[in-house]
Amino acid sequence: MRSTLRVGLPIILIGLLASGCMLPPEPRTEAGEDVFNLYLLVLGLALIVFIGVEGFLLYAVFRYRRKPGDDVLPEQLHGNNTVELIWTLIPTVIVFVLFVFSMITLGAVEASEEAEATTIEVDGFQWQWTFRYENGASETGSLGSPPTLAVPVGEPVRLILTSLDVNHAIFVPDFLLKRDVIDFGEAREPNELTFTVTEEGTYAGQCAEFCGTAHADMTFEVQAMPRAEFDAYLEALAAGETPPPTGDCETTIQLAAVESLRFDSDAISVPAGEAFCIELTNNDTVPHDVGIADIDFNGEDVPAGESITYQIPAMETGEYTFICTLHPQAMVGTLTVGE
Amino acid sequence: MATTTLEPQASEYRRSWVLDWLTTVDHKKIGILYIVNSFLFFFAAGILALVVRSELAVPGLQLVDQDTFNQAFTMHGTIMLFLFIIPVLSGFANYIVPLQLGAPDMAFPRINALSFWLLPLGGGLILSGYLFGGAAAEGWTGYTPLTNRAEGVGTDLWIIGLLLVGTASILGAVNFITTVFKMRAPGMTLFRMPIFVWTVLVTAVLILLATPVLAAGLIALFIDRNYGGSFFDPSVGGNPILWQHIFWFFGHPEVYIVILPAMGVVSEVLPVFSRKPLFGYKAFVFATIAIGLLSFSVWAHHMFTTGAVFLPFFSFMTALIAIPTGIKMFNWLGTLWRGKLMLKTPMLFALGFISMFLIGGISGVMLASPPIDFHVQDTYFVVAHLHYVFFGGSVFGVFAATYYWFPKMFGRKLNEPLGKVHFWMHFIGFNLAFFPMHQLGLSGMPRRISDYSGNPEWTILNLISTVGAFLIAASIIPFLINVVATFINGEPAGDDPWEGNTLEWATSSPPPPYNFDRLPPIHSERPLFFLTHGHGHAAARPADLEEEPSDDVEHRGGAV
Repeated sequence: MRSTLRVGLPIILIGLLASGCMLPPEPRTEAGEDVFNLYLLVLGLALIVFIGVEGFLLYAVFRYRRKPGDDVLPEQLHGNNTVELIWTLIPTVIVFVLFVFSMITLGAVEASEEAEATTIEVDGFQWQWTFRYENGASETGSLGSPPTLAVPVGEPVRLILTSLDVNHAIFVPDFLLKRDVIDFGEAREPNELTFTVTEEGTYAGQCAEFCGTAHADMTFEVQAMPRAEFDAYLEALAAGETPPPTGDCETTIQLAAVESLRFDSDAISVPAGEAFCIELTNNDTVPHDVGIADIDFNGEDVPAGESITYQIPAMETGEYTFICTLHPQAMVGTLTVGE
Repeated sequence: MATTTLEPQASEYRRSWVLDWLTTVDHKKIGILYIVNSFLFFFAAGILALVVRSELAVPGLQLVDQDTFNQAFTMHGTIMLFLFIIPVLSGFANYIVPLQLGAPDMAFPRINALSFWLLPLGGGLILSGYLFGGAAAEGWTGYTPLTNRAEGVGTDLWIIGLLLVGTASILGAVNFITTVFKMRAPGMTLFRMPIFVWTVLVTAVLILLATPVLAAGLIALFIDRNYGGSFFDPSVGGNPILWQHIFWFFGHPEVYIVILPAMGVVSEVLPVFSRKPLFGYKAFVFATIAIGLLSFSVWAHHMFTTGAVFLPFFSFMTALIAIPTGIKMFNWLGTLWRGKLMLKTPMLFALGFISMFLIGGISGVMLASPPIDFHVQDTYFVVAHLHYVFFGGSVFGVFAATYYWFPKMFGRKLNEPLGKVHFWMHFIGFNLAFFPMHQLGLSGMPRRISDYSGNPEWTILNLISTVGAFLIAASIIPFLINVVATFINGEPAGDDPWEGNTLEWATSSPPPPYNFDRLPPIHSERPLFFLTHGHGHAAARPADLEEEPSDDVEHRGGAV
């Protein structure tokens, strides 16, 4: 018994420690900060209850063990009204504290929903997203090439959430917020999610409500940027260009895949020592991509009729070969870096 | 003087062993059938869990494709809940409740047999989806309109199977309620009933009120899918949220349907192995009733992120449940206090229940806070929470019951060292498997995803979790060896191997078909303890002892 404890407890403790510190990510929205603070309070209460109860349990197990041959009955205690009243009050107080603070936080989160905000319409569908902005620009993701949700930093953003089919949920862990994306039909207005992002950056997002086969692939990326950059991004998106991702490249090479498995150009050149972009437009009827073997670059596949912008890191001066990795025999070209 | 020769009564009707078990209406045999059947489904659903955990051990899709993965977690959840935890506890209740009440059988023995035999039929139908192009794959909650639009007959089989299983539950509930109210032995007042019987009674009421709602929803869903109905599909004018309301109006009481009887088991085991009465018996009974009542007013806490429910009400009612649950927790600790604890295997599992269910209870209160729920809803935090309740709670209770009542059922005690090995592997494996999921959920890993390639930082915790899952699976090996070895050469148990308190220990092990040759007088909730020790403590004598002096030993024949 004791020896199993000696082996068992450390294993459990290691497991618990390895699980991390039981905290959500550092919040990147104003509402998320409120949620985070509430979570800290609740975690504190939880730890007190946890340590108190488990501590007493362990104490009782070691302290009140029956010794071999001990046949004397312990005192047959059936209850004690005072004690029972006290321990009814303890959980009552705890849950009332929790409830009051939850409601305060909920009030703060909901108050922010009233604010004037930049509106972005979000369509969830099996299994991707469309983001439509106020100027009419939009971006739709496809399997394997998830879309980007651009938002301005430091001001309220309101997402209008509509589903084109089954239930989804929009979730950005760094924001500490999520909301279901449901087609309510005639029953009620679509859900909204309002938040103010506090820090520039790129954040991963994902569908959180199980929505069928490729639920796991229903990802997207949030890019939070200053207002000016956001406006430029939207303009570029509206003009039909694939907007340069933030940290944009000086040089963008236009490349197209055309019918009968060819690139429209078999020689392209870029300056040395700086990152550049290749925008691949697929005018063919089958998927294509771009790969540069010497630097281990292998771009995502582009379905027929779509386009994508690859970001490629700075390369040294020299002659390289670029290919379509799906048709490496037929689709080959030379990439000249530098003079 | 005319003499009459008394012919011997009709000799026993001989039938084959197989026919005997197939046609039995004896509550004890039906109870064993329930338990064996449930464990078979437990192993099947456990293998599905290993499929899920193996796929999630590292990022990427290695073992199965997405549809197979979705089928695996859907079937895992459905089978574990509807065909393992609920029925296995029903099985113990079937076996033990009539014995604890001093009754010869359940009130309706034939309905009892029917409600058992619907289970393998319903469970078989649910699993048979695998033979017809794929099992249901919409999650055990079957959210609409995804389930409306799911292709394939597997989902229809899932609906029909669940209807049969639900019907079995409802029939069983009627049977338990009638048995408790009509079959108690003389002297067995409601407040002398063992806590296990109380929890089964409240559970039966919950089943009776909640399960028909699920059945109605399932029928509506079947009509939607097959006969052009429009209950749940917004594209034809239905309301997708309606299903969530129906499902959780059943689903939340269902949580208590699977936890209350396990709490009852723990409340039987703790006093026996502490050699003390349960601390605060009446408070415990009222807390059980309070949990049952509250469980009908909290369903929408599963729907905080739908934006379609009134958050403060459901948050408040959910938090309230923590109060009666907390009372129970303290009652258990009060029972241990100054007891003389014997850490036999049933006691270990009961202590495991308390320590693990506590964590599930705490995370449940955290989830009751809407702002926190906005972050962790539909993430692995919820998966961790529900496993600490269902597995850390109910399943630990099931194993406590197994080790505790096995000697009564089969007349032999399970082996202690093997039982302890089982417990520790189980306990460690469980925590390795499910504790890291809290952090995964807080970090944002959604549940029900087959791949997390985009977040490789989740790998280590997932890997630990998978190792834990296999350790749980491995812990079943000593358990099975123990069962087989005990049947072959187990230590004879005698009538009362644990110095028990309740009436099931007042008859032979296993009991005769009619249960009791004679019943001890019933003056308290611990009639057997009373028989040996009196009240054990003069100050604690209840007044009613004086009111009903010398209730003679009851004699009860076979046919009552």
